[in-house]
Amino acid sequence: MDAVIRQGLVVSVVSYLAIFVVLGIFYGLIKVLLKVLPGKATDE
Amino acid sequence: MSELLSGVKGMADWRVWVMLGVGLTLVWLAVKKEYEPNLLLPMGFGCLLANIPLSSAVHGGFLDVLTRAGISNELFPILIFIGVGAMIDFGPLLQDPEMLFFGAAAQFGIFFTMMLALLVGRIPGVVGIPGLREAAAIGIIGAADGPTSIYVATRFAPQLLAPITVAAYSYMSLVPIIQPPVIRALTTREERMIRMENPEREVSRAVKIIFPIAVTLIAGIVSPMSVALIGSLMFGNLLRESGVTERLSKTAQNELSSLVTILLGITIGSTMSGEQFLTPTTLLIIGLGLIAFVFDTAGGVLFAKFINLFRKKKINPMIGACGISAFPMSARVIQKMAQQEDGSNFIIMHAVGANVAGQVASIIAGGLILALVR
Repeated sequence: MDAVIRQGLVVSVVSYLAIFVVLGIFYGLIKVLLKVLPGKATDE
Repeated sequence: MSELLSGVKGMADWRVWVMLGVGLTLVWLAVKKEYEPNLLLPMGFGCLLANIPLSSAVHGGFLDVLTRAGISNELFPILIFIGVGAMIDFGPLLQDPEMLFFGAAAQFGIFFTMMLALLVGRIPGVVGIPGLREAAAIGIIGAADGPTSIYVATRFAPQLLAPITVAAYSYMSLVPIIQPPVIRALTTREERMIRMENPEREVSRAVKIIFPIAVTLIAGIVSPMSVALIGSLMFGNLLRESGVTERLSKTAQNELSSLVTILLGITIGSTMSGEQFLTPTTLLIIGLGLIAFVFDTAGGVLFAKFINLFRKKKINPMIGACGISAFPMSARVIQKMAQQEDGSNFIIMHAVGANVAGQVASIIAGGLILALVR
């Protein structure tokens, strides 16, 4: 495997996983915000 | 007299005829088929202006000025993002934050296509994709997000900007044609009929205001290269949600978006010169762009099916496909598909949530690629 392909593979895997990590942080953030600053439940 | 005939002489170049045909086709697609008309029409006309021999619109003309003022320095895509942010309601995502992960999963096409472009670029005789930067610029078509594609392509492969932009916007408008067969191939009818409960949760105004600020800070700290993209999107959203800048929010949604879309479209169109556009690389980019959208969709659907292995309450796996950015087209397509199977199944709120998650995820993906690719 040449160096560029290897670098591409590393960038792809790291980036894809990092997106999950970053969005996971956002998920935690939203959960905390919803708990700390709750809105009213809808009537339905 | 020779001055008058010089334009006519220029028509002897076959590439001029082909590019005028491409420009007219884009205008036709916009007018007749209504495929992303707000962008394809200015692009098509810009293409015409740029390919008329000895055109004064380019060669130091106003389109060159606009290219330097708004494309080379990435200003136009950033301004577009302010407008997009002002248009997005993150409410459905905040009500059901699990949808964020579908946004992440459906970025798979970016990286699959990037690797594919790298491999194709290694085939003897294939030119135009010499390294990782060009492959990344092509892969980012899978972000299904025009401004992000333009932003990354401008940095990594400005010579490929025109075909990448054409591919990105064309496939975004073709989402209703691209996604359904991929989804049907990967799901059973029973899966497509899964019903999902709407979260009965009201999101407070405070959360809607804090969310764009916090996301900007977190994304910026994790990936500083994404600050311009995510920051402009979230700034637009803050204008919307603050409740105190209604005039600015409406301006961002309407006048700013419209004005920049006109300038962006006609300027991108003007970069479609025959010498740069009529190459085998363009065809390759068009093909790879389609693969990116297909694998985005597959990534989202398969991730939802994987998650379902561990859940009691199953998720309709079609929701995963909405994780591609293409907002709000993808959510509409999935809702329509759900109703084709069961007329009383409404999954639109979840679909919109995953769709706006895809918008955020695609920008994060762009920022990470900008940071990691050298």
